[in-house]
Amino acid sequence: MRDVLQASATFQPAVIEDIQAKADSGLYRIRGWGTLRERRWATFDDLTFLPCSLTRIPLEGYREKCSTRTVLGTRFARNPIELDIPVMITGMSWGALSYNAKVALARGARAVGSSNTTGDGGMLMAERENSRTLIYEVLPSRYGINIHHMRMADAIELTIGQGAKPGTGGLLLGSKVSDMIATQRDLPVGVDQRSPARHPDFLGPDDMIIKVEELREATDGRVPILIKMGASRVFDDVKLAAKAGADIIVVDGMEGGTGASPAILQEHTGIPTLAAVCEARAALEDIGLYGEVQLIIAGGIRDGVDAAKAIALGADAVYIGTAALIALNCNRPLYVEDYQKLGTEPHHCHHCHTGRCPVGITTQDTELMKRLDIEEGADRVANLMRAMTLEIQMLARACGKSDIHHLEPEDMAALSMEASAICGVPLAGTRKVFGR
Amino acid sequence: MAEITCGSRSTREINADIRKALAAGEREIIVREPGARHNLGVGILEPVRIRFAGSVGYYCAGLIDGPSIEITGSAGWGLAESMMSGEVVVRGSSGNGAAAAIRGGTVVIHGDAAARLGVSIKGGTVLVAGSCGYMAGFMGQKGRLVVCGDAGDAFADSLYETACFVGGRIQGLGTDAVVEAPTPEDIAWLDSTLAEYFPGAPRGKQFQKVVAGRKLWNFDKREWKVWQEAL
Repeated sequence: MRDVLQASATFQPAVIEDIQAKADSGLYRIRGWGTLRERRWATFDDLTFLPCSLTRIPLEGYREKCSTRTVLGTRFARNPIELDIPVMITGMSWGALSYNAKVALARGARAVGSSNTTGDGGMLMAERENSRTLIYEVLPSRYGINIHHMRMADAIELTIGQGAKPGTGGLLLGSKVSDMIATQRDLPVGVDQRSPARHPDFLGPDDMIIKVEELREATDGRVPILIKMGASRVFDDVKLAAKAGADIIVVDGMEGGTGASPAILQEHTGIPTLAAVCEARAALEDIGLYGEVQLIIAGGIRDGVDAAKAIALGADAVYIGTAALIALNCNRPLYVEDYQKLGTEPHHCHHCHTGRCPVGITTQDTELMKRLDIEEGADRVANLMRAMTLEIQMLARACGKSDIHHLEPEDMAALSMEASAICGVPLAGTRKVFGR
Repeated sequence: MAEITCGSRSTREINADIRKALAAGEREIIVREPGARHNLGVGILEPVRIRFAGSVGYYCAGLIDGPSIEITGSAGWGLAESMMSGEVVVRGSSGNGAAAAIRGGTVVIHGDAAARLGVSIKGGTVLVAGSCGYMAGFMGQKGRLVVCGDAGDAFADSLYETACFVGGRIQGLGTDAVVEAPTPEDIAWLDSTLAEYFPGAPRGKQFQKVVAGRKLWNFDKREWKVWQEAL
């Protein structure tokens, strides 16, 4: 009789594979997508809504109005952003993504009255032409920065870091630095790009005050300035960003995605999105700017439920990135043999860094790119954003809210002590907020 | 020529006056009493001449495309950052990150430049008559950086295709920076360019040329030591 096979709990198969891969290459692992860890930390799933019963009156789910209008950037800018819905497309560069993906995202967001963001590679003119509201991102790399493009934008996002890898620069492997991408960014073709972690012309928050003013001067104070950060020391960082003059602050939690990054950064840096939104709100309340500086939350937002919970906890809007790519067919069982060539399978692919995306999203290969039909992709992105909006409204109406922005922490209960302590809402079945 | 006196007015008001003068068709503007204000002359896109008669603060001439801007005093951090084309001349010295991430044009500094001169440069030319601080040229992608005096530590660290030239002593090379002999074309270019901007500068053949050793371009485990020090 054979012995029962018993694997090590310490050296699990994935750990063994990781050690052997590093023994082969001498390099840390690089991949795309975002954290793959089992989520043992408190997430939005650790909260549940408390719809109306006798203490509150619900709104009719299919009849009574529930506004989703979202206005951002009301603090200093002459022209705040006005969106029809609170779900926005986050910054993902042309370079990390294909031309077709960028244009499809822009068209999808436009179709639902929302925004999209350029990413770390400058503005693609087709993206501007297909956007309703375009946010122009200024990152430490300064790839493709063009004042003419900046002035075409509806807002400027000064990015300090991102949730998947706060405190580090971007990474674009040479396989994706095509002739077009190299020209757009002034780079040598085919060379790995490890972009800097710090901006080239400012270091700390005091310098950043002047930088924000420069961006306002460059755009004549017309458009809002967003400051985006990876979720790290959120309570302090948000206060510093507000002090620097941000109209809008974006906090990107550790579940956020990336086109390429050392895997350990995705797995072991930053704090979860649920914790990030709570710290961010507390920070703005602490300095009396909650409501005056708008808050966008990003990082692993999957659906309208996550979005509604983020909004209830204090966000004015959410960014989606990975979810939007999934809408474009990321990880869909199409061209399965090409997933297998990458050593993976549909639903398990995180090989964006290779530039060999089987469904034409995270690639610069013109043949692969053809697999992503722009019109069809735009429809799918718009559909996802519509469905998410309906989900948010459904929950808001059930909680008796005629405006999704009226959702509040009091509309929820915690399903774990950790979530109760983080979010300041009572644990279900008790009247107790743990840690208070 | 239009004259704008800053007096006690804000940067926003002064920049608005500059834009108003440009809209009225002025092609030469002198701005008096700049008082080291930050963000003066940001985002100018017209091929005009602007002279700041005095010293300026951070980000002067940032995000410009086309103008010729002269600063008779010194400049703070981020001079001409992200410039696309044009010319920026500083008669005094500059603070950190001068010519950061420029994509084109020429930045001329008659005095010294502080740390991180030409950091993330993506094109254009940076000329310094004096010396520069540490990490000049860091992660330069393209373009040319010329320092007639001495260069500080970690010079030309992690370069891509930027060519760096130093007329004096280099305190220390950055990771993957390699000294090589200037080509005859380099020497001819240096001689003609320096004759135009700094007539008393050393001759081109006296310059050291520093370029990327290309060991950081794509990871190779045989170059592990370079990566350990770089990252």
